[in-house]
Amino acid sequence: MTWHSFFDMSTMENRHLLAAYATVLVIQVGYLARVAWQWHHTKNPRR
Amino acid sequence: MPNRPIRDKIKPMEQRAPTLRKVAWLWFAISVAVLVVGFRQAIFLVPTDAAQGDVGRIFYYHVPIAMWSLLFPYLNFAASLAYLYWRKRNPLRALSADAFALASAEVAVVYTSITLITGSIWGRAAWGIWWAWDARLTSLLLLWLLYVSYLMLRRFSSTGQTQTLAAVLSVFAAVDVPIVYMSIRWWRTQHPAPVFFGGPDAGMDPSMLPAFFWNIAGWGLWGIFILLFRFALERRRQIADQEAALQAIEASLEIPR
Repeated sequence: MTWHSFFDMSTMENRHLLAAYATVLVIQVGYLARVAWQWHHTKNPRR
Repeated sequence: MPNRPIRDKIKPMEQRAPTLRKVAWLWFAISVAVLVVGFRQAIFLVPTDAAQGDVGRIFYYHVPIAMWSLLFPYLNFAASLAYLYWRKRNPLRALSADAFALASAEVAVVYTSITLITGSIWGRAAWGIWWAWDARLTSLLLLWLLYVSYLMLRRFSSTGQTQTLAAVLSVFAAVDVPIVYMSIRWWRTQHPAPVFFGGPDAGMDPSMLPAFFWNIAGWGLWGIFILLFRFALERRRQIADQEAALQAIEASLEIPR
């Protein structure tokens, strides 16, 4: 498989493969971003 | 010193913070590097599956994440038991255990959600349906619902016993984990048969192993990173809350001149 075929949306199986990998990355990075945002908006007790 | 004041605990944390921050960044960098290798293996290097075509590559994300999704509930279970044990004996240690239980429950929901969604996407392409009420899928959905209800309980309950109730719920939720694991062994399901420890027909082609193991390692390192980060956030909140409570008590004890 190549980058070109990975992003090829012409067949259902390619669309589903891309959707599955994108879902994983969006959820994982989204959760990390949420925790990081809350970390920076929570008072640091050491200061 | 089981019940030393919170301010005494903050000082050692302050001394360790720069080292912990460096270790965290290093761990994060290693996780991302391993995941990049895993992605490259799964998409570009593994031969296309003869039966399923390219959609079979979902396997390399779905199965490793599904395996980890059954580990985080046990961390939540262990932390909840520790909370129940320490809540009267050592309240400060119980708070730490409770923070870890909350962090592991959130990560369990993240991993279980991904398992359900990627499985459904694969099922639509491979079976022609998004969902089947078979034993594996249903027991995993039940596990997801249990941990979502755990988080909802913690978010919206105002009884003053929330942490204890959540810990007891976690003990019940953990019972579902071995049922999820054994479901494809105990019952005939639409879900594919187990890859490992599933009898003489189990196992996978050697060409699939590097992609599979790189992704197990990558999602494991990533999961531990976000778990510890979420734990650190909860500890920061707890200590800030305790500081605020102490200041309020001190202010109320001051005698007006």
